[in-house]
Amino acid sequence: MMNSAFFTALEKICPAERILTRDAQLLPYESDALTAFHLKPGAVVLPESEAEIIDTVRLCHEMAVPFVARGSGTSLSGGSLPIPDGLVIALNRLNRIKKLDPEQRIAVVEPGVVNLHITQAAAPYGLYYAPDPSSQSICTIGGNIAFNSGGAHCLKYGMTSNHVLGMKVVLADGALTQFGCESVEGVGIGPDLVGLFVGSEGLFGIALEITLRLMPQPELYRTVLAAYDDLGRAGDAVSMVVASGLLPGAMEIMDRLAIKAAEASVAAGYPDAEALLIVELEGEAPQVQAEFEQLRGIIEDSGAFELRVANSEEERDRIWKGRKGAFSAVGRLSPDYIVQDGVVPRSRLGEALLAIGALKRQYGLDVANVFHAGDGNLHPLILYDGREPGALERAEELAGEILALCVSLGGSITGEHGIGMEKREYLPAMFSEEEIDIMQALRRAIDPKEIANRGKMFPGGEAPALKQQGMHPLEKQGIISRE
Amino acid sequence: MGPVARIQALVRESERVHVRGNGSKPALHIHAAAAAPVDLSALNGVIDYQASEYTITAYAGASVADIAAALAEQGQYLPFDPLFPAEATIGGTVAANLSGSRRFRYGGVRDFILGAQVVDGRGRAFRVGGKVVKNAAGFDLSKFLVGSLGQYAIMTELTFKVFPDVPRFRSLRFNYGTLDAALKAIYFSNQNVYELDALDLLPAEDGWSLLARLGGYEETLPRRTERFADGMMQGAAACAVSEVADEASLWDPLAGLPGRYLCKVVLGPRQIPALDALIGNASRRYGVGGNLAWIASDDCAEIEQALKQLGLSGLCLRGDRPTPIIGRPVDNVLAQRVKQVLDPQNKLV
Amino acid sequence: MATAIEKCVHCGFCLAACPTYSLLGEEMDSPRGRIYLMKNVLEDKLPAEEAQPYIDRCLGCMACVPACPSGVAYGDLLVGYRALQEKERARPPLDALARKMMIETLPYPRRFRLAAAAGKIGAALAPALPDAFASMLSLLPDRLPPPRPLPAVLPAQGDRRGKVALMLGCVQQALAPEIAYAAAHTLAANGVEAQIPQAQGCCGSILLHIGAAEQAQQIARRNLEAIPSDVDAIITTAAGCGSGIKDYALLFKGEPDQDRAADFAHKAMDFSAYLAELGLREARGFDSEVRIVYQDACHLLHAQGHEAEPRKLLASIPNLRLLNIADAGMCCGSAGTYNIDQPKIAAELARRKVESILAVEPDMVVSGNIGCMAQLRQQLKSSGNPLPVMHIAELLWQAHQR
Ligand SMILES: Cc1cc2nc3c(=O)[nH]c(=O)nc-3n(C[C@H](O)[C@H](O)[C@H](O)COP(=O)(O)OP(=O)(O)OC[C@H]3O[C@@H](n4cnc5c(N)ncnc54)[C@H](O)[C@@H]3O)c2cc1C
Ligand code: SF4
Ligand code: SF4
Repeated sequence: MMNSAFFTALEKICPAERILTRDAQLLPYESDALTAFHLKPGAVVLPESEAEIIDTVRLCHEMAVPFVARGSGTSLSGGSLPIPDGLVIALNRLNRIKKLDPEQRIAVVEPGVVNLHITQAAAPYGLYYAPDPSSQSICTIGGNIAFNSGGAHCLKYGMTSNHVLGMKVVLADGALTQFGCESVEGVGIGPDLVGLFVGSEGLFGIALEITLRLMPQPELYRTVLAAYDDLGRAGDAVSMVVASGLLPGAMEIMDRLAIKAAEASVAAGYPDAEALLIVELEGEAPQVQAEFEQLRGIIEDSGAFELRVANSEEERDRIWKGRKGAFSAVGRLSPDYIVQDGVVPRSRLGEALLAIGALKRQYGLDVANVFHAGDGNLHPLILYDGREPGALERAEELAGEILALCVSLGGSITGEHGIGMEKREYLPAMFSEEEIDIMQALRRAIDPKEIANRGKMFPGGEAPALKQQGMHPLEKQGIISRE
Repeated sequence: MGPVARIQALVRESERVHVRGNGSKPALHIHAAAAAPVDLSALNGVIDYQASEYTITAYAGASVADIAAALAEQGQYLPFDPLFPAEATIGGTVAANLSGSRRFRYGGVRDFILGAQVVDGRGRAFRVGGKVVKNAAGFDLSKFLVGSLGQYAIMTELTFKVFPDVPRFRSLRFNYGTLDAALKAIYFSNQNVYELDALDLLPAEDGWSLLARLGGYEETLPRRTERFADGMMQGAAACAVSEVADEASLWDPLAGLPGRYLCKVVLGPRQIPALDALIGNASRRYGVGGNLAWIASDDCAEIEQALKQLGLSGLCLRGDRPTPIIGRPVDNVLAQRVKQVLDPQNKLV
Repeated sequence: MATAIEKCVHCGFCLAACPTYSLLGEEMDSPRGRIYLMKNVLEDKLPAEEAQPYIDRCLGCMACVPACPSGVAYGDLLVGYRALQEKERARPPLDALARKMMIETLPYPRRFRLAAAAGKIGAALAPALPDAFASMLSLLPDRLPPPRPLPAVLPAQGDRRGKVALMLGCVQQALAPEIAYAAAHTLAANGVEAQIPQAQGCCGSILLHIGAAEQAQQIARRNLEAIPSDVDAIITTAAGCGSGIKDYALLFKGEPDQDRAADFAHKAMDFSAYLAELGLREARGFDSEVRIVYQDACHLLHAQGHEAEPRKLLASIPNLRLLNIADAGMCCGSAGTYNIDQPKIAAELARRKVESILAVEPDMVVSGNIGCMAQLRQQLKSSGNPLPVMHIAELLWQAHQR
């Protein structure tokens, strides 16, 4: 419990001025990038060293105080939402790159380091950190680890998990451990613990030090922007690219509404179209040139009514800026939105998009689609106005239907944003009761008091500031049931 | 009773059980001679292959060769390049985490496993991970299986991400007078734009060799190869560079490694000089740009001692040892917690 | 204000650009946090005094505005909020005194000269004074330069390519009259007739910046009267004045002068942007290579979006080598009266800025804003590297004269 004994002990770990308890200090930590949920934490602590984090976690364990680690609070699933009467451990001051070894292509960083800063630090050596969530300019490696974050360029070289070689963590019960190694091989001898920890959504403990793999900057990018008068046709083009044996670095699709938002935001100069497909090839120049000739042929045959090729770094940046800012740009079109993150098998993309189109008409809500087409990871943005009574609930319900759709097509409810607070009721759509039991048991084996990010990922409990109205859409469809 | 139910029953009824695939890595089984053997022979073959999805699902007992053949028909491959391509089962490859030289290009087993169906030490059959190329739901126990040596759960089915393969390869050999010079060349290459399919380091008659492989389109390879050779010679001069025939044996990291014992050690290239100085009598090859050591020798004690001295752990694949782990013992509190949940009675050995 | 708040989707993209966030690493000192605090105050969920320290720490540098994909008009929100709070705000006595002094002296060149002279005497007392006073004193030069008078009209040389009115700036005209002098002559040398209305006053943006809206309006009205309407552009040589004048439309919203103010605001243009658009007549440049760092003033870069223009001008000068520094868009900590209000943060920002400047080993630093120049000069001096710091107008004038 967060009583005075707790605070007295906490002040021995961290000076009082770094323990935030006043309203004006706590309110800004109320929510992450999913504003549908907000909850004022009991306190926020700003550690400045690894030792302070370890001691804080140990104290929380001893006194059974729930905590949530927080990076930059850009989670889109409520992952860094505070816990009632819980502590927020904000890691932003642990933002040092401890080691950069370009010869071995590795970097060792603290958890609060911003994703893009690693790439910036590695750039003088011709290297970069590959996973590029659209939020890369601000999201932290700690947050990336919690969700196994990906980005537009994860088709070829994988997500966060594929780039973490080793880490030091404090488990929720205070145990300190280290796994992986400073070798590009990553897993040493024994099971891949890095792979297990990455994607655990902050439920296992806090990553304190992370060893990352760096990659050589591609010598050449060839970026193609194709415009279609039909969303399905853009989806088919993706299948054609895949069937050709090409392995692009990125394949992204935006629909009309998303194009409009991006255009309003960064004036990327996108063509007026129902759908845009961005395909980017990357690698050694001679190889990429040859692939590009092949790609051009494919896109020309795919029914695109306009084809643009970026001929300079600026033109490429412009194409990507529109895509990367698309989520927040939707804020220009609507006061509130929910982003979904379901995955469908790539071959069923067209089907999924049609179904989403039908659903949005049924619910009378706008949905903008921006997605990682290369791996079937959809990002439908459901637009609503929170001031309108019942709008949030309708949006939530529509979101639920989209998730159910992804599962029924053989996909997943989340590709990279995680379950967090938002999708915890949908976990049973993906896993059997026994599978969830096993995960719960694992969680309790690591965190017997369930203090680390309590209330996230697993179904159950009341969501703060948001009550489910009536039956959950998955319940209606008989996919989940409540006792 | 189906094959999975039989495994479940066996686990429930036995005190100790042990999985053996095709036995391509004999040292992994010696310690478990007394345990009830799990028979995977019924769990053989590809279950579902979606070339357009870049995914393949196969039974854990499927041979790596069969999987590779199915993929090759569609111009695809397993980019982690399973070791023992002729003998190994896919389950054994995952359990022992064994990739070959081509792993250098895109990643190892952990980077391509997507999900699995398993039976744990309590006889429960369940699924971990997913079947689509991207999935962030739930704890990723499928990655945890990589290197788990069958001691946490028995895999019955595995799903992988696969990639299109490239049509042509060319291989180069660079010779260096000293290990140091060869390592410098690796460091130079690491900071350049070259995208190599493989890069291995091995002792040669009068010094050290770097073997490099480039893959791509026929028409671009000559230029890329030449450029790479020139760049390397300018950036980190070798005594000699020559193109070598791109044969399978060249890229089998174990091909030239005789000796009763064979083990794999994971390390960073900077650790190579210290290790190499201590195992001068063994035959060895450093794969994945110097991030992995394959060591073979008749003298196991020398290897063991060297590893202990440097705080490294290794996995013995060949040779009669009481346990496959060699060097610094492997023990981790997080792994123990998983064991506690999946196999509290330590049935899986 | 409401729309600015509503438009914020809490994505956090602005955090990366915010100097106070990068320094303090806490959400209350980020744009997103401040917007959320202002929202809570406006919705009566949080007492204004509680939020105030964090709003006060905002530099007003506007780096968060271009960083926001959602188009949140943070500047409008901040100005509106500050004006609203100012009415109700009781300040601690010393702060109130400093503020009063600032309101009454800064905008008036003559009074400011006097106060500065007095401050010189007070410098000996600096260590005994609270931070706010101390830093105000430390910014003042040892001795005020003599005035550089300008005629009411400086005719264009050669073919006339344009006709502009030149704003002199208040603090600037007292501390560095050579800037307006150089600007006027550079314009003339490039074929632009410069009118220099003698009745003009301070633009009022310093007052707006600290929430003294009423006084700001009074002063702005004087300018509406004084500046002729038949000019192509109204040229400013201080970044803050430029963006302050651009805010005139907002300042007079709903008032009879609204249209005139909007027209005035529309014509206001920074010196470097105007000349870059016009194109320099040939400058002789330097005899041997001069390495230069161009320091972006926040109110040029973020508020007015002039990133390329000053660089384009500099690049057209022979033998001038423009260097890139790390975090070029980060505020140097000067930001209007920030130095005076938040001396500690300002000092740390200045330290970081000078560190990244020195890292590229320049011969001199050029900026488009006197506040930044004073800040950098002082920091360079205390770091033991007193490089010359010049206004871009001065540099152009020098390059032209050679
Ligand atoms: C506009 C926008 C675009 C986005 N685009 C993408 C995208 O393209 N791809 C993508 O994958 N995501 C994307 N995201 C989501 C988000 O940016 C990622 O999930 C990111 O990884 C979160 O990082 P963060 O630092 O903000 O973490 P937070 O939101 O602060 O925290 C996220 C989770 O991480 C945990 N955590 C934080 N630090 C640690 C640590 N050291 N150890 C253990 N757990 C920790 C927290 O407890 C929490 O559960 C986007 C978000 C926004 C707002
Ligand atoms: S970038 Fe814009 S929308 Fe995002 S948090 Fe900042 S102000 Fe709000
Ligand atoms: S104006 Fe500057 S200091 Fe203020 S919130 Fe925006 S970026 Fe931060």
